[in-house]
Amino acid sequence: MTTEDGATEAAETAAPDTFADTIWPDVNRTLTAVDVQPERGVLDLIVHIPPADIIRGLNMLKHDEALQFNYLRSLTAVDNEADGVDVVYHLYSVPKNLNLTVKTTLPNDQKVLDTATTVWRAADWLERETAEMFGVTFTNHPDPRPLLMPEDVDMSDTHPLLKSHPFAEIELLQGELLGHNRDAEVED
Amino acid sequence: MNTEIFGIENVNVWLDALIRVLIIVGFMTVVVMALIYAERKILARFQQRLGPTRTGPVGTLQSIADALKLIGKEDLRPRNADPWTFELAPFLVFIPVFLGFVIVPFVLDWQIRVLELGLLYFVAVSGVNIVGWIMAGWGSDNRYAMIGGMRAAAQGISYELPLVLSLVAVAMIVEVPVGDGELLRGSLNLNEIIAAQHEVPNLVWQPLVMIVFIIAALAELNRTPFDIPVGESEVVGGPFVEYSGIRWSMFFLAEYAALLIMSLIFAAVFLGGWAWPFGIWMDEAPGRWLQAIAVAIKSGAFFFLIIWIRASVPRLRIDQLMSFSWKVLLPLMLAQVLVNGLVLVYDWPEIILTAVGLVGVVALFVIVDRAVRHPRPRPAPVAPLQSEAV
Amino acid sequence: MVVEPAVEFETQDLLINVGPQHPSTHGVFRMVLEIDGEVVRDLVPYIGYLHRGAEKLCENNDFRQGIGYMDRTEYLAAHNAELSYVMAVEKLADIEVPERAQWIRMILCELNRISSHFMFLGAFGVDVGVFGTPFIYAWRERETIIDLFEEISGDRMMYAYFRAGGLAWEVPANFRERVGEVLKSARQGVKDFDGLLTENEIFLARTKNVGIISAEDAIEIGMSGPSLRASGVPLDLRKTEPYLYYDQIDFEVITAEGGDVFDRYWVRMQEILQSISIVEQCLERLEDGPIMPEKMPRMLRLPEGEVYIRTEAPRGEYGIYMVSKGGNKPYRLKVRSACLSNLQALKQMSVGQYVADAIIILGSIDIVLSEVDR
Repeated sequence: MTTEDGATEAAETAAPDTFADTIWPDVNRTLTAVDVQPERGVLDLIVHIPPADIIRGLNMLKHDEALQFNYLRSLTAVDNEADGVDVVYHLYSVPKNLNLTVKTTLPNDQKVLDTATTVWRAADWLERETAEMFGVTFTNHPDPRPLLMPEDVDMSDTHPLLKSHPFAEIELLQGELLGHNRDAEVED
Repeated sequence: MNTEIFGIENVNVWLDALIRVLIIVGFMTVVVMALIYAERKILARFQQRLGPTRTGPVGTLQSIADALKLIGKEDLRPRNADPWTFELAPFLVFIPVFLGFVIVPFVLDWQIRVLELGLLYFVAVSGVNIVGWIMAGWGSDNRYAMIGGMRAAAQGISYELPLVLSLVAVAMIVEVPVGDGELLRGSLNLNEIIAAQHEVPNLVWQPLVMIVFIIAALAELNRTPFDIPVGESEVVGGPFVEYSGIRWSMFFLAEYAALLIMSLIFAAVFLGGWAWPFGIWMDEAPGRWLQAIAVAIKSGAFFFLIIWIRASVPRLRIDQLMSFSWKVLLPLMLAQVLVNGLVLVYDWPEIILTAVGLVGVVALFVIVDRAVRHPRPRPAPVAPLQSEAV
Repeated sequence: MVVEPAVEFETQDLLINVGPQHPSTHGVFRMVLEIDGEVVRDLVPYIGYLHRGAEKLCENNDFRQGIGYMDRTEYLAAHNAELSYVMAVEKLADIEVPERAQWIRMILCELNRISSHFMFLGAFGVDVGVFGTPFIYAWRERETIIDLFEEISGDRMMYAYFRAGGLAWEVPANFRERVGEVLKSARQGVKDFDGLLTENEIFLARTKNVGIISAEDAIEIGMSGPSLRASGVPLDLRKTEPYLYYDQIDFEVITAEGGDVFDRYWVRMQEILQSISIVEQCLERLEDGPIMPEKMPRMLRLPEGEVYIRTEAPRGEYGIYMVSKGGNKPYRLKVRSACLSNLQALKQMSVGQYVADAIIILGSIDIVLSEVDR
């Protein structure tokens, strides 16, 4: 189930990695007609699926007999700036004790993805948070309201976790930075 | 008409009544403040902390400090609150409690008036404060207050019946001497009820009734485990949430005054009041003072029991408390009244009352235990959302 | 003959707003209940009152400053929160932690679990309606544990004691004796609590068959921790995916069948006893040694990579998903919050129950809002 770091380096210099010692053979077998790319992570196997097939793929992973990924651990996104936004799903199988990370990359001009609430209800609030923090739109979501952002002010165009959203200016409080040059730039 | 008071003959009866009322009001205010302090201290000791310690020696002036603070507060009224309902509600809660003091016998001859229908009067008057609770809840223009007021009314009305029936059961069996050594059964006069207990207190004859009275009194006083109308962790104060300052303190004082009356009535009806164990043959000081001490100890025991229950027991939900009253207490009390009647009519030995009472106590415990350990299935919840399979 | 009523009764459901300031919501949490008489028809939770942007801030702070932020996301079990973070850093940087540091980490995490569960017991007692007595009992136990933590790390709640690679400094010399005292007091505390509440008829009447969630629904919604185990799912990360030295320690995974409020209370109470036993076993195996590896760089720089580390915090699975693109700061840090996932189940558990039950159900899920909102 788990992988070793050393294997990655050995694989780079030696033969191409077949991922045979992970759950990749089962995953590959399950995800028929889905263009899936494996990657070796530090602890789990990571697979990349294109956005159009993601819900189909997740459903297959959930309902497969050998894998049974019935527990969605976490759903989040990573902003890769020019390379788009990665939506990351961490899956777990309770009966088989298996882990899997599923990633899909959305281009910056089309951050739209189908909702995973039809697969696991756990995705409900996790998608709401990802939507408001990264600007990803999950179509057919049953309750697309902001989760953590203020609801009395309309902040639907603010996506705080994007890299383009700046940090706040740090004010110099009285007494702090005594002895330092107050006009110097504050290091973020 | 003229009567005597304190050995002074020929006092106008109205003046006599006024003096008695003033004494009672003064006495009651002081005692209520002492009760509030006692409760805080005792509750704190149960919870392994100290309670008030700073104001006055050992914190004894805490109640006075609280009273002064409350007097100084601004008297708020919500803008949309109905003015008459909102402002009259505290009076309707407070005044019936004071009226109840008329018949409470502290010691033989130390009371405001002896009423032949004392118990009936007490029950009738104490039922009026429910109207006050509803007025407070409705007049506050606040949802939480209204919920609390409705709950209080439902609870108050439900527990009136076991309370009344328990007093009826006791009133049925007291023996009243009617000249010539004849004994008549049945009296609502509190003095006669107490006098009849000069050898054996009523708790021996009616143990089940005593327990039911304690439970019903807890419910009428809105105290844990029946304090859902003022459940602090839910409706945050219930019907009194919008009151501040003196108005709020009137509710608070009414609660403790009612607690005081219930303690005294309990001591009078079930534990023998001033008559047991010193008996009515004791007259004038120091006999009277011994009787006063006996009454104080008995009502103090009830008071301590109430606080003990408050410190240890969770709160019942409104539907549980209603079903407990209507389905458990009321049938038990009706059965007890029936048994009392049978014993009176057929002149059976009184020990039957004790036996039946003890059986009833055991039955009560068994019923409660079974209900709790084998709960009936709850109303079916709304079907949860199913994730649609693709 | 059927008589048609002249007037059709049309009742309206009442909308009740509970919170954000309320003695019972365990923090700033707001829910709007739609009630019909006393029965809850719908429940809409609103969170975000305590959102401080911890994830964004951690992108700007290096791997030592981030530990302070993790403390504050779950302040009642801060050692467990720090543990996930430093484990993620160690995994990515491939740092090996000395044995003594691992054992001490285990002891502190389990002690934190005990104090967090006592906090739950206290607050739960207040919710059920006992005025203050269980609260004070629980606080007395917590005081002994927190005093110990203060002696070790200097802080009563947000410790910042773990570092990537081990611990910040050595524990005091009387560590063993102090931990022994704490355990003795905790055992007595559990007995007191048991005597006060567990067999109390009114407590049973309030909590049995209330707020039931089945095992399938719980897994579907993503619950974890004691709330999940009370529904019958024996999922404990210390057993299924052991970290630290949990595979060398003997302890049981406590489960219950009903999935109601009483089971969640009972599971947590038994877990305190299990944690006491774990700490005792760890104390036996604790030996002298270093607490930081030999060569630790002053400023930690991580290679590229990502990892999702999950540990069993007192409230459930506390996960850290860290993406590093080189440098001394994480590129993305996601905190997988146990309380957020557990809170999603509130609506399902409460609809169809009474209003007073909704408060108790919220208390039994044992949320701490700072972890829900981060």
